[in-house]
Amino acid sequence: MQESLEKLQKVALSDLHQAGDLKSLQDVRVQVLGKKGSLTEIMKGMRNLSAEERPVIGNLVNRLKTDFENAFNLRQQELQQENIAAKLTSEKLDVTLPGRRTVSGSLHPVTMVTAEVREIFSRLGFTVAEGPEIEEDFYNFEALNIPKDHPARDMQDTFYISDERVLRTHTSPVQIRTMLKNEPPIRIIAPGTVYRRDSDLTHSPMFHQVEGFLVDEKVTFGDLKGVLTHFLNEFFGEGRSVRFRPSFFPFTEPSAEVDIECVICGGKGCRVCGKTGWLEILGCGMIDPAVFESVHYDPDKFSGFAFGMGLERMAMLKYGVNDLRLFFENDLRFLKQF
Amino acid sequence: MIVTYNWLKEFVDFQDSPQQLCDRLTMVGLEVEALEEIGGNLDSVIVAKLESVEPHPDADRLTVCQVNTGQEVVQVVCGATNHKTGDLIALAQPGSVLPGDFKIKKSKIRGQVSQGMLCSEKELGMAAESPGIMILAPELTLGEPVFSALGLKDYQIEIGLTPNRPDCLSVVGIAREVAALSQQKLKLPSSEIEEGNGQIQDQATVIVENSEGCPRYAARMIKDIKIGPSPDWMVRRLQAVGMRSINNVVDVTNYVMMELGHPLHAFDFRYLDGGKIIVKNAQQGDKFITLDENEHTLSAEDLMICDGQRPVAMAGIMGGLNSEVKDDTNTVLLEAAYFKPTMIRRSSKRNGLHTESSHRFERGADIDMIPVVLDRAASLIAELADGQVVSGVIDCYPQPLKPIEIELSADKTRNLLDIDIDRNEIQRLLESIGLKAGAGSCSDCLQVKVPSFRPDIEREVDLIEEIARLYGYDQIPVTMPVGAVDAKLPSLRQLLQKTLRQSMVAAGFSEAINYSFVATDSISKIGISDQDSRSTQVKILNPLSEDQAVMRTSLVPSLLETVAKNLNYRSSDLRLFELRPVFLTQSSDQSVEKLSLTAVMSGQREPEGWSQNSQAVDFYDIKGVVEAVLSNAHIENVAFDPLVSQPYLHPGKSCQLRLGDQSLGFVGEVHPEILHKFGIEQPVYLFELDVETAISVAGQHAQFKPLSKFPDVKRDSALLLDESISAEQVMDVINQSKVRFVESASIFDLYTGKGVPAGKKSLAIRVCYRDLEKTLTESEVTKSHDKLIRSLCHRLEAEIR
Repeated sequence: MQESLEKLQKVALSDLHQAGDLKSLQDVRVQVLGKKGSLTEIMKGMRNLSAEERPVIGNLVNRLKTDFENAFNLRQQELQQENIAAKLTSEKLDVTLPGRRTVSGSLHPVTMVTAEVREIFSRLGFTVAEGPEIEEDFYNFEALNIPKDHPARDMQDTFYISDERVLRTHTSPVQIRTMLKNEPPIRIIAPGTVYRRDSDLTHSPMFHQVEGFLVDEKVTFGDLKGVLTHFLNEFFGEGRSVRFRPSFFPFTEPSAEVDIECVICGGKGCRVCGKTGWLEILGCGMIDPAVFESVHYDPDKFSGFAFGMGLERMAMLKYGVNDLRLFFENDLRFLKQF
Repeated sequence: MIVTYNWLKEFVDFQDSPQQLCDRLTMVGLEVEALEEIGGNLDSVIVAKLESVEPHPDADRLTVCQVNTGQEVVQVVCGATNHKTGDLIALAQPGSVLPGDFKIKKSKIRGQVSQGMLCSEKELGMAAESPGIMILAPELTLGEPVFSALGLKDYQIEIGLTPNRPDCLSVVGIAREVAALSQQKLKLPSSEIEEGNGQIQDQATVIVENSEGCPRYAARMIKDIKIGPSPDWMVRRLQAVGMRSINNVVDVTNYVMMELGHPLHAFDFRYLDGGKIIVKNAQQGDKFITLDENEHTLSAEDLMICDGQRPVAMAGIMGGLNSEVKDDTNTVLLEAAYFKPTMIRRSSKRNGLHTESSHRFERGADIDMIPVVLDRAASLIAELADGQVVSGVIDCYPQPLKPIEIELSADKTRNLLDIDIDRNEIQRLLESIGLKAGAGSCSDCLQVKVPSFRPDIEREVDLIEEIARLYGYDQIPVTMPVGAVDAKLPSLRQLLQKTLRQSMVAAGFSEAINYSFVATDSISKIGISDQDSRSTQVKILNPLSEDQAVMRTSLVPSLLETVAKNLNYRSSDLRLFELRPVFLTQSSDQSVEKLSLTAVMSGQREPEGWSQNSQAVDFYDIKGVVEAVLSNAHIENVAFDPLVSQPYLHPGKSCQLRLGDQSLGFVGEVHPEILHKFGIEQPVYLFELDVETAISVAGQHAQFKPLSKFPDVKRDSALLLDESISAEQVMDVINQSKVRFVESASIFDLYTGKGVPAGKKSLAIRVCYRDLEKTLTESEVTKSHDKLIRSLCHRLEAEIR
């Protein structure tokens, strides 16, 4: 019996070794250990053994089993590795073929810039407010210290709905609406659509602005410079020079225009900045006491600043768009770039 | 406003280069928009010498000249007659571009080579007229550019003035700012005058009937004048600041206006009936022809300068053709007046006449400047036109203006500007621009007298602005506000807009922004009837074009146009949305702005690719988008009602989105006839959502439902239904049934055709059963599912297939 066991071991191990794939390996295992396997057959002879022989043969059988299992596992692992290796060699993709895309949408660049401006100012404690696009003359002009028949009205060509109603020419009426309803301290930004009766290469009759204003006790021109410098650094990146220069708006006094170092040429002078090295980016100033009077604030107690900027211009500079009209043509080849 | 560098130098000594000057002006609030060198592009026009002048062999009127450029001798053919051998002349070498875009090339004239052109003053833009070519002084250096050789090098500085600065609408006004910047004194032009015979009062009378409209009217008379061309220096200056030379008298009025800022007008005295000037309002409906030969129908609010009979000028705007200075004019009456700004502005607008004069008067001219400009102009006319100033001045100024005085607190200045400045420094800055500041009511205060040339300074804060601007905005520190912050979260309205946009982008849509104004008929173009409230559109009184005449009441027409446009651009798979207000009329003077979300979809479902065969989108694609959008906005239980639709939608493939009795919008395929009108040849699907209603019903956030730890059991059944039974009815029965353990249900197949009787359809449903507490047994599930099927069979006359 011992002899046939040893013989079996030899044959079994050699069969394992010769098995060329996982299936024939499994077959060898069945042939040896299966219900009708050769080991099972040999084991049937156990009952004929003497009590002394049984443990010896038992040990032998166990050893054979263990050896076989070990050899089996080893061979199985070998074959699996060969399989994987073969698979890896045979499977090859052209990974440069484009991926399977889902349809992707896009926000309008003006929406994106608006969101960014909101985000920056909200971290400075500004709340978003809105107002109507068809606006009363009072809010759009009168209360902002732009009386009828004042040359300052020429600064903004206006679309009229009636004598008393206009398409708002700026987002500044939101200042008046907000201040009439709230007491200082106030920090508001008001993005929105505005209209001016002007249409050419660099003017669109409809465009977007963000208005911002802050009213409190003891607000200074320095604060105005601080907030806007911070904003421009956040929006266009640190390290770009910013300059404030005197200007005129009827609703602010002193008034300023803010220029940033040209984002295209870095201040050297180019076509975009008209060779000046500077880009006019926003208008601002300390809120005029006349505006405070029209909303019944005490100009001796409160001061504040206001600013406004064109969002298309911000988007043009940020994304390098060279034609204002693209924003309203809604060409998908344009929209999908954002 | 255009000034020149050298003209400024006449009134103030400064060292800045043109570029430095421009930078400083910009930083003090006079924004320089352009700096151009005069003659800067004419450097190739040089001083040259005529070595010989011979008659042209084949042309009587031409000469052939040998011209020494200092480098070489070239041949030039010339048609002038005033030149001779030895003269120095201005040679435009080939490549020069003279004013009027006149390009000089090497050429052959009647067989003779000509390498350039000998120029006249006129051809170089130095004079209005010139009799022949320019003969230069003999001491000039050959080869030097003519402009610099003649000392005519100058710079044109164009300043974009803000409307609050009428004082800078003159060379002297800007020189005043330059003087302040360079801490120099302003030198005013001389207005000394030599008076001749006669008394103006004996020959002319001025009556101001409307003294509110004309607080001051002054006049001088100059007689025995000879009208002729102006001297070259004046022509050049006028040209440099953008004015055309007319004749010596008119040019003087313009020159003095540019120099000192106050408009003047010269009447031919012989046409003034009765030697009278009467300042009064026009007769309503009167006709009047201005100098530019345009006829105006006057309003009773137009202020006119009249003679004894008729209007002779539109006050402060333009003179009349009937009293214009002509070639044979002998005596002029020169007017310098002050007119009320709003009156001039209204007249100028009403008559569509914007002139250099009206521009200044409507912004506020300098009433104290009147005698100065009058004397300056009168003596210049006398000098240039060889006339005599009649003695005396008429000056109707019944109520002299008192200068404005303002008390300024240095403390307030420091606080508002956040700068450290003392009272003396403030005083110095204010006085540098011609204000007079003296001791105020307190030790830290100043009493400031505002001169009449600064009508924009009326209040303390206006003075603070002047201080800030002169101190330098760049010197003001950069600080952050320290006050209390009460920032509020975005409103539900703002949040929902964000959610909607995000949902649309996630569904593959690109955001479009169209103009809010559209053509009046755009609403009827989408089939909306006159009775529909959307046909009542808010009209713009002064639209830029008929295509932008009314405010849109629907986003649909603009988006369909966007679709058509993109198809033309060869983009055929389109997903576009707009989230913008529509403008609905409430009453004749009330409108309401309502946000609408409108989206269109057309073309293939998936992007073109190498591995997939995409299919055209259909109704259920756009409906799926609507469902996703509503679900993201936490708007639940929206019904899709096929009985209500819109005229621009396909009647069989569209429905209303309804929540209870509230309409939330519509979804469907665009009506083929409408598409045809827009020139669109492929199906377009559309939905619109009334965002205002959505805001009122949107949930703020999701509500968590606990997850079951136990397995689900799915049961499928195919229902044989009448064709008219909608999927919604089936789902309603399932959702409303009280059958236990139903977790969810879905429709997974729709079939008609072989095996299904005509008029019927087969709808396959899958119901998922699950319990939170335990694993369901087979019999529990069967019991529930049987009950559900019974209920469907009973309520919808369904059969199981």
